[in-house]
Amino acid sequence: MKKTLMCTVAAFTLATSAAQAEGITVLVEGGGHSLQQAVADAFTKETGIEVTFVEVPYQGVYDKLSAEIASGTSNYDVATIDVVWNAAFAPHVEDLSELFTEAVKADLPPALLADANVGGEMIGMPTWANAEIVFYRKDLWEDPANQAAFKEQYGYDLAPPATWQQWRDMAKFFTKDGMYGTDVIGGTSEEWMAEVLQAGSPGVILDDSGNVILDNPAHIEALENYRAPLCEDKSVPDNALEISWGEAQNLFYQGQTAMMKFWAHAYRMTPEDSKIAGKVGVAPMIGGSAGIAGIPGPWYNVIPSSSQHKDAARQFIAYAIAHNALGIEAPLGLAATNSAYQSYMGKPGYEHFGPLMATLSAPATKGRPLNQHYQELVDEAVMPAFQGALECEDNVAELLQEAAATARDILGQ
Amino acid sequence: MGERRFVLLMLMPAALFLGFLVSYPVALLVYNSFFEVSLIDPSSRVWVGLANYVDALTSKRILESALRTLKYSAFALFFELLFGLGAALLFAAIAKRSQWHRTIFALPLMISPIVAGLLWRFLLVGNIGILNYGLAALGVIPDPGAIKWLSDTDIVIYSVAAADIWLTTSFVALVSYAGLTNIPQDVLEAARIDGTNAVTRFWYVTLPMLRPVLAVVVVVRGIDALKTFDLIWIQTQGGPRQASEVLSMNIYQRMVRYGDLGQASATATLFLVFMIGLAGLAYWKVWRTGND
Repeated sequence: MKKTLMCTVAAFTLATSAAQAEGITVLVEGGGHSLQQAVADAFTKETGIEVTFVEVPYQGVYDKLSAEIASGTSNYDVATIDVVWNAAFAPHVEDLSELFTEAVKADLPPALLADANVGGEMIGMPTWANAEIVFYRKDLWEDPANQAAFKEQYGYDLAPPATWQQWRDMAKFFTKDGMYGTDVIGGTSEEWMAEVLQAGSPGVILDDSGNVILDNPAHIEALENYRAPLCEDKSVPDNALEISWGEAQNLFYQGQTAMMKFWAHAYRMTPEDSKIAGKVGVAPMIGGSAGIAGIPGPWYNVIPSSSQHKDAARQFIAYAIAHNALGIEAPLGLAATNSAYQSYMGKPGYEHFGPLMATLSAPATKGRPLNQHYQELVDEAVMPAFQGALECEDNVAELLQEAAATARDILGQ
Repeated sequence: MGERRFVLLMLMPAALFLGFLVSYPVALLVYNSFFEVSLIDPSSRVWVGLANYVDALTSKRILESALRTLKYSAFALFFELLFGLGAALLFAAIAKRSQWHRTIFALPLMISPIVAGLLWRFLLVGNIGILNYGLAALGVIPDPGAIKWLSDTDIVIYSVAAADIWLTTSFVALVSYAGLTNIPQDVLEAARIDGTNAVTRFWYVTLPMLRPVLAVVVVVRGIDALKTFDLIWIQTQGGPRQASEVLSMNIYQRMVRYGDLGQASATATLFLVFMIGLAGLAYWKVWRTGND
């Protein structure tokens, strides 16, 4: 009897530990969960390894993972993190270089590969990527009366804007009948950062060597151009500092703006009861002297050094990138690899993938600086200068020089 | 079991709770304030003595945030007391018939600050906000973009307080109403027989007798307002140009967003000392009033 009992206990213990080994826990933000659920289901079916998602709000990913690392314990085997945290977590996650095979590298936009590389190690695998593209009202652009009037006024055909000048011209043209041409977002600075790259800057805020370039000619030129619709053309709502992503989207959906720059995923999310439903067209991000450029918004799968199931975690990450297209059916409908996007090219409802790929793959597209003080640089140096410029009074060059001095102070340069 | 031991036994759960869940984190906070320590890697700490305190006390940014916090709290508290006491007097005037009014009036109390903040953000934001549309329709302002509630650096700190006032006026009203119902009717009756009018009765009888209750309201709501975070964060994230950044937000940013645990701990410790001093002063005042 005793022997039977001991055998049962031993079998139970083995079964339990085997079950534990056959499961991984993934820390993820809400949107990321839905994008990875299909791939997790397929992975479990194929390998038998269970995938449990711990879903937290956006900031919760950073908070929980840092607390985990700080405590030295491990609850998470994989964490899906925003690119802006790559530098901060780099010393505390596994090097995934061996997962970046030639095939994987060839299938990813260069900007996403560059963002994965921190200090010579590939610290994370892209899971999906987003970028701002141009959203415009097809009904307005295709209206013959508008086309004729625009050509007469500006001397060229009305088509989706592709350059800085066209953007300003069209914004001015459509500022009529109680509608604004577009909006200027003052709550966050990413849209201006994209213009900094379009103006030919070697980076945003910092160059590749980590030197502060916040006051270089491209930053100044881009900020002058960014605020022009607000301060000179009056083709946008004048409360730019109150406008962030949500407000910009609302203005467009309410028919108060004719066009906007916005993250590509929104193309499939136009509310059905919106007065512009079915009338939205998309185009690649506009270009400056350096051509099209965007700030990618990729997320990366990383393996915390404290993970107890690193092999299973690696298997999951390798499987996820190989089956990247599975996430596209999720509400956000995003992926990271070129092949995933290409597999949906031409399908109705996915017209935004072309402009998104064109933007992500543009030579001037580049990620935000991989610096562990990035958030502090933005909050303390960039935002005061950026928002100061949008009050339309101060000199842009002087504001950016002050911001650069603050940034150098933060970095001890 | 003696009464003294019984009292100690009854206090034990609360004492243990405070010991583990309050004293330890507070001690750790003070301890961290003497180090340069990263949030993500607290094991690699460097002793810096009082340097974090010197930085905090000489930082223009922190001083501005602290003054803004006081401005925000004073503004919110003034209007909460004004509207809350006014509502309580109205409830008292209609006595038992105010049952439904009180219930409806208490509804904002059930709403979480994040939801209230989001609600007010979309009420106040120019061009798409309902408030400016209403004001423009009434002819008070020329167009819906005329007042930039959340982007004008001169008024934003007062605009974000509107959500606080809306959310907690009902708390002030309900507590004040409870205080009003405890005022002996014979004192008011005696004042009435002496020929006093309503204003005189309020000023010389109601208000002095309500003083201990109002003191509690001021302490509770004042401390609450001083440490406000979520309500403002969701509306403006402290912007534009840090014009609505209060001290708790500064501490949060430094600790969570910048990972500078040492500096954030020093500022938080100073904030804590100030709050304890303020609470001590207020309680002493309440206690003294109660013993007059």
